Amino acid sequence: MNAIILSALLGVVMMFSGIITKNKSNITKIAAVGLFLLLVANVLNTYGGYVVHVDTHSLLNFEKFGLFFNSIAITATLIYVLLSGKEIENVGVNTAEYYALIFFVLCGVSILSSFNGLLMLFLGIEIMSIPLYILTGTDKRNLKSNEASLKYFLMGAFSTGIMLMGIALVYGATGTFALGTTSISPSAGVVKTSFLEVAGLLLLFVSMCFKVSAAPFHFWTPDVYDGAPGVFTSFMATIVKAAGFIAFIRLFDTHTDVLGPTWKILLAFVIIATLLIGNITAVFQQSVKRMLAYSSIAQAGFMLFALYSNNDFAKEGILLYATAYSFATIGIFAILIKMKDYTFDGFNGLAKSQPVLAFANTVFLLSLAGIPLTAGFFAKYYMLASVVKTGGSLWLVIVAVVFAAISVYYYFRVIQAMYFKEGEPETTTITTGFKTGLVLLAALIILLGIFPSIVLNYFYF
Amino acid sequence: MSTTEILFFFLSALAIFSAIMVLVSKNPVHSVLWLIAVFFAISGHYILLNAQFLAIVNLIVYAGAIMVLFLFVIMLMNLNAETEPQKHVWMKLAGAVSGGCFLMVLVSLVRQATDMQHKTALMKDGNIGLIKNLGKALFSDYVVPFEISSVLFLSAMVGAVVIGKKE
Repeated sequence: MNAIILSALLGVVMMFSGIITKNKSNITKIAAVGLFLLLVANVLNTYGGYVVHVDTHSLLNFEKFGLFFNSIAITATLIYVLLSGKEIENVGVNTAEYYALIFFVLCGVSILSSFNGLLMLFLGIEIMSIPLYILTGTDKRNLKSNEASLKYFLMGAFSTGIMLMGIALVYGATGTFALGTTSISPSAGVVKTSFLEVAGLLLLFVSMCFKVSAAPFHFWTPDVYDGAPGVFTSFMATIVKAAGFIAFIRLFDTHTDVLGPTWKILLAFVIIATLLIGNITAVFQQSVKRMLAYSSIAQAGFMLFALYSNNDFAKEGILLYATAYSFATIGIFAILIKMKDYTFDGFNGLAKSQPVLAFANTVFLLSLAGIPLTAGFFAKYYMLASVVKTGGSLWLVIVAVVFAAISVYYYFRVIQAMYFKEGEPETTTITTGFKTGLVLLAALIILLGIFPSIVLNYFYF
Repeated sequence: MSTTEILFFFLSALAIFSAIMVLVSKNPVHSVLWLIAVFFAISGHYILLNAQFLAIVNLIVYAGAIMVLFLFVIMLMNLNAETEPQKHVWMKLAGAVSGGCFLMVLVSLVRQATDMQHKTALMKDGNIGLIKNLGKALFSDYVVPFEISSVLFLSAMVGAVVIGKKE
């Protein structure tokens, strides 16, 4: 509850900070301090320290899993603001409002990590989505940004409609918004569920797939990620997407029995379609930004494995995956938005002119590809191992490994351009502080790749 | 047939007919007017269920405010039958197939839902939809979502200012 209240309040504080100071870098500093306070408050909450006690009538359920994810999301946002704060200031004149919207998104994230009913799920999804529609369109003079914003808004509104239809059907079948109250009759061991509930859950599944951009509901992703200002793409593709997965897993955690064995077939189809479309299309991209958009679809395919296996191993895995994926992608985007040219050729010869940037970028890309000694390797390992543990779905693991091998190709194209091609890459001014931040983030990713238990142990203590 | 049943079937037929007309009409202004008819029919259903508050709010918010906004947008953009973009034939086919599949799921759902078939909605004697009970539920059991939705509206307002303000 601390995180929900404080992030909403900090959003208001950020709006007022725009009146108090006109200096944009001061606003970034206030946001960074605010995020740090938010992190402290959330960690306090994890260990039983409440700022205010609120009776939520069991509409919210604060478990370790959700609270720990909050900490990861807030830490990732803090890293993001420290690395890319300068770029947020350069998007437009309303810097204070952009930060306010980011805090509102975090409020939505905190609700999604602890909802205990479909009503709160809906509110959380909307609080997370609406600020994003706006952030997508903040580059007002750029026609592509306007197009992306409108497209995202219309498609998002449509998927919200589908979600509401699903919620209505589930409510009609069970008579309650609460999770985990299915009408399973204990006698004879036969699962007898209402057809209304199954249909409602399918509609919820479709709209959640849309929110995490799983195929075949991914069509908005490349255009929106490409059209939005680079800094905000970074935020959307990492923290928001990971929060979508946490909500997805919390929602279907208790409902897999209702859907029966068909559920696994449906999910396997979505996973393979997502991996196929994400990876194959990413191979043919010329722009690194667009390649990262497709790669984020491919990574979503991997995160869906946590939903498929649905055991304790998967829950640990999704937390590690969210951490590894968010940190690496934030790093890559921080470098990408410093470049003048977003194509692969724009990276030609970066190792000569900016060796530190090239090195850090290599670590991030290796982590996304899942090469050992980086955090991404253990993230992928946990995902696949959780499926192996459920038994019987080995073919799906083999398919995933093949696609992971394909993904190496397009990540290595960037590394190849940086190290083995001649060119004069143009970048905006790069400060020593930025370089230090990148090196620290790269070190963190390698550290997590050697000792993944650093993240996982906190889950239990 | 009792009066309630006659009213129910009349309103249902009206709602379905108007909804089909929304889609079939070539002129966008006619579509909007038919949509208002849909909202009136649905409000009629709410009144049959003894939920007067919901019925009035549905009329004020949807038929009153949002539809007028729709009309303004359509008139400002000068949309009419001629400017309607022509869809590719494959797009139409894909839409018809996927929409048809969804319709089949919903129809079979109603047919197969044996647990719903002998239940009827509470007609006119239920008082759960009255404003007094609604207010009590909203400010006791559902006070947390009620308060949290303020964040949603605040972010929408901030967004409107950020997008709309001249730089």
